[in-house]
Amino acid sequence: MSETVIVLFRDEPGLAGAAQRVGGTVRAIRIGDYQPEECLNALVNACRGARVILLSNDAYSQELAPRLAHRLGGSCVGDGVDITPDLRVTRQVYGGKAQAVIALKRTPAVVWLRARSFPPAVIPSEARDLEVGAARHPSAQVPRDARDDGRVRIVERTAASQEARLEDARIIVSGGRGIGGPEGFKTELEPLAQLLGAQMAASRAACDAGWVPPTWQVGQTGKKVSPDLYLAVAITGASQHMAGISEAKQIAAINIDKDAPIFKHCRFGIVDDYRKVVPLLRQKLAELRK
Amino acid sequence: MNILVCMKQIPDPEIPARDFRLAEVGSMNRVADVFSENALETALQFGGTITVLAFGPPSAEDALRKALAMKANAAALVVDDGNADRDPLAIAQVLAAAARKLGPFDLILTGRESGDWGAGQTGGLLAEELGLPCVSFVDTIEAREGGVRLRRQTETGFEIVEASTPVVLTITNDEHNVPRIPKVRDVMAAHRQPLTTFTLAELGVDVTNRWYDVVELTIPTKETACEFLTVDELAQRLAEVARA
Amino acid sequence: MSAEQATRPIYWNIAHVWAMYALLAPAVGIGGYGIWRHVQRWRRGTPLARFDRPADRLRLVVKHALAQKRTALWFHRFITWGFIILTIATILVGLDADFGTTILRGWFYLAFQSFTVDVFGALVIVGIATSALRRRPHSNADWSGILLAIFVITLSGFLIEGWRIAATNDPWGQWSPFGNLVARASRPLMSVAALQTAHRATWWTHLVLSLGFLAWLPYTKMMHALSAPLNIYTANLEPIGASLKPVDFESTAPLGVKAIEQFTWKDLLDLDACTECGRCTAVCPAHAVGKELSPRDIIVQLRDDVFPRPEPLWECTTCAACVEACPVFIEQMPKIVDMRRHLVMEEAEFPDSMQAAVLSMEKRGHPFAGTSATRLDWAQGLDVQHVSEARDAEVLLWVGCGGALIERNQRVIRAIAQLLKLAGVRFAIMGREEKCSGDPARRIGNEFLFETLAKENVANLTKYQVRKVVTPCPHCFNTFKNEYPRYGARFEVWHHSEFLAELVEQGKLPASTKESVTFHDACYLGRHNGVYDAPRRLLGAPIEMPRNRNNGFCCGGGGGMSFVEEPPDKRVNQERAREALATGAEVLAVGCPFCMTMMEDGINARGGGMRVMDVAEVMLDGLESHS
Repeated sequence: MSETVIVLFRDEPGLAGAAQRVGGTVRAIRIGDYQPEECLNALVNACRGARVILLSNDAYSQELAPRLAHRLGGSCVGDGVDITPDLRVTRQVYGGKAQAVIALKRTPAVVWLRARSFPPAVIPSEARDLEVGAARHPSAQVPRDARDDGRVRIVERTAASQEARLEDARIIVSGGRGIGGPEGFKTELEPLAQLLGAQMAASRAACDAGWVPPTWQVGQTGKKVSPDLYLAVAITGASQHMAGISEAKQIAAINIDKDAPIFKHCRFGIVDDYRKVVPLLRQKLAELRK
Repeated sequence: MNILVCMKQIPDPEIPARDFRLAEVGSMNRVADVFSENALETALQFGGTITVLAFGPPSAEDALRKALAMKANAAALVVDDGNADRDPLAIAQVLAAAARKLGPFDLILTGRESGDWGAGQTGGLLAEELGLPCVSFVDTIEAREGGVRLRRQTETGFEIVEASTPVVLTITNDEHNVPRIPKVRDVMAAHRQPLTTFTLAELGVDVTNRWYDVVELTIPTKETACEFLTVDELAQRLAEVARA
Repeated sequence: MSAEQATRPIYWNIAHVWAMYALLAPAVGIGGYGIWRHVQRWRRGTPLARFDRPADRLRLVVKHALAQKRTALWFHRFITWGFIILTIATILVGLDADFGTTILRGWFYLAFQSFTVDVFGALVIVGIATSALRRRPHSNADWSGILLAIFVITLSGFLIEGWRIAATNDPWGQWSPFGNLVARASRPLMSVAALQTAHRATWWTHLVLSLGFLAWLPYTKMMHALSAPLNIYTANLEPIGASLKPVDFESTAPLGVKAIEQFTWKDLLDLDACTECGRCTAVCPAHAVGKELSPRDIIVQLRDDVFPRPEPLWECTTCAACVEACPVFIEQMPKIVDMRRHLVMEEAEFPDSMQAAVLSMEKRGHPFAGTSATRLDWAQGLDVQHVSEARDAEVLLWVGCGGALIERNQRVIRAIAQLLKLAGVRFAIMGREEKCSGDPARRIGNEFLFETLAKENVANLTKYQVRKVVTPCPHCFNTFKNEYPRYGARFEVWHHSEFLAELVEQGKLPASTKESVTFHDACYLGRHNGVYDAPRRLLGAPIEMPRNRNNGFCCGGGGGMSFVEEPPDKRVNQERAREALATGAEVLAVGCPFCMTMMEDGINARGGGMRVMDVAEVMLDGLESHS
């Protein structure tokens, strides 16, 4: 029976769901402390014989996936939103303008998937921690090679202010170039997000301008998110941004320009200056809470 | 330091959806991929002798000339005379073969992903082909004893990574690596600079796709009619979702 | 003695006349040196051809240096004419004194040298007195000194004349009315001896002051008496839209201007012609809304060898109101573009928003970065032919980026297409082969990109053997008409309002009879190319805003400014919107895609109350309501 391995840096019930879809016996590996070269070597050792290896859309998984596939003689594809038992992966291309179905030619098939793209399932209770140390043991079946270990070391980790990941968020409030500066995010949008229990995000324009941390960036060249509701404030809705939110269940927008492309993707919205709408919205929401 | 920056020329990602037809992808207006330019800008700010390399059709020369105008030192093009979309392994093998001819390099930079297919694998596979380590999503490079000190982005913040050279880095965008506008004088000079070209035959690389095949490529039609609401109505809808 | 013999003794009562010549030499020397220094400065500039068409140039000098059409100030005309007449009078005396001529005799002596000269001298006095009364706070001490000197010199002239008339009992005294007044007032108060002494003393004073003034003149702003007429003679005779000079990319010369010598000699002459009157700054739209830009400051800084800071340069909309307003024909706007060229092409230092527009033109052939509109969106559902298929098209309708890619303007293009069809005009379009005319690139200062786009467009238009282009965008209109011929363009260029007006003339379309319409002149159609009447003919008789035609106030969109985010309290379009709303008209008619978006924004920002429509839409509206 073929084996499907899910690689977990944190709890990802969606990956377990994807593994069920793909079929085979499911085995889970957890990775605690991540150091790129060490973990790569250990994973190579730990995943031998798997037919499918699934990872999520975090930075470490994206970094490891192609190299893991190469070392194991398999193939890799990323940012999948669907995977079939015969290893066909669906993903978006051309900045979200087109959709491709990719057939992997070699196994193991190493695939990283968008968070929340599969219904959650239970993670196998026998999930084992990745034995990094074992990989260095002389008896371990890791080729002793000058290219391993020590050449890359993560020495410092700094978390941004928000704990939770945008990819896991259920509701997102996002601002774009039209916000006009960091103040709009701080004084208008963040309080709104708090009232909704939402997380903050931004378009590339706002991040490039330095108004918000780069971790907030959503879009083709940022995070791909799948919330139940994505509220886009002062975002035009260019296709590169839409590529990051294509899996959102509902999109709503507040924009001063009635011709902004975002309205073509929205379920509902308001055409007005966010500076007028958002304070009123917060007021209304506070009232509704009571 | 000797730095190689791999650049890609892609169909213009800002082509409006209405003008985007899959059959015309080959003849669409092409531009330098933005992460490649972020990578080049990061290299220029770090300093060193910079070679830019592209694997693509003859039109990719435009992206390389622009890189020379931004003051890269040398440029090389591996001419792709086929029309097939190469898979990431094929691309990485071609780039690795060219890098071996042009190198040795202390740093090899690619964009974190390209604006067309966005596979995000070229950097990692290039590292494997060359037997080098790889650090992804880097936005800042500093020199240090025996190597480099990098800042790279994760979804929760950033990390400082120390790496010995040679190393492959994939670069992501940041407010500091917005590609510079070249001076017109440099643009004119760039056209007169030499360009090293390679054919696939010269490099001896087999570029048949062995990694994956694209079996379906479509443009999904998905448009919704937007309901325009009052502030009160919007508040109601948002509250419903928040409560659920 | 009969009138034919009327004259007066030269140097009456004056001895030691040699002293006059002795003083003349250093005066001429110092003054001449002063002028020579100016000329040397002009010669440091780069070449420019401005001595063709002498008849037209002389006409300009008569109209603007003599009649001074661009200044409404009579006092200045008085001073100028007085200066000229009195100088001629003095030269005539010199000729009679030193060259043995007998010009100052008889009727000529009486009518010109006595009467006319007196009247003009009096006008000088009136002029100076008036200017003293209207002394404005921004004027400076320099002028006070100069005006005072002129006043004293002229007044002393009358005293000399009057006292001579009194002392010699000149029989022709009444022919000099004002001198005669002095004589009649003085006679009872002064003896002949006293008159002679006073006359002599004043004569020498007058001489020293006059010679001193002439020597001093080139070192002060009075230099404009010489530089201004010369500047007017060498003015730009082409439409303002043709003002920008091409750049030779083959040469190693620096691109644009960052040092004074890199300007042309004419630019340097401009600097010396400036009298700091400030009319340019008074009409500058950027300045009017509180921005830093002041065309006068730029000219004065350059004159004083100070290079202007970049920030104000990036506020200019290139509307050329400054150029139009200048009484001495200084060209402020082209200098701003020259300085922009250096910043853009040599230093790559210019506002981010303009960078985005430039990058978009380079990559995509249009300046609207991030738009999801396409060049053919407006044509959806319309039966429009591409120029390659249209065998018998009479005109090419050049839509332009502003028309195609801004949703509001797509409706304008559709209206024009409908009107053309109604009039039976067979037209074709370039569709996706249109590239930006390059106007924003050129005005922002990237001449290299402009040339690239120009050459591509000319090649395409030539390929399709286009003979006649009609365009709704004044920027495309100006660029095609005035700038593309250099790259080989050989086709007629019409603005759509001109073409529609022609159709109205031919009876193929009716003009609008809509009342309550006011019209905003697009700078690039009006001031830059002199087209004011055609759009008005389409509108019947529109209500005029106070600042109209060549005094029109910019919408704020030119010069790359429509891509810049202006501070909310300093928006040119809102100032113009205020003026439009004040007319009380229901509709504001425009003829430009940039004016359309700027004026709609401006009016919305002021609370709305006016519809903004293109002239074509107004015409079509009229047709539809009648059918």
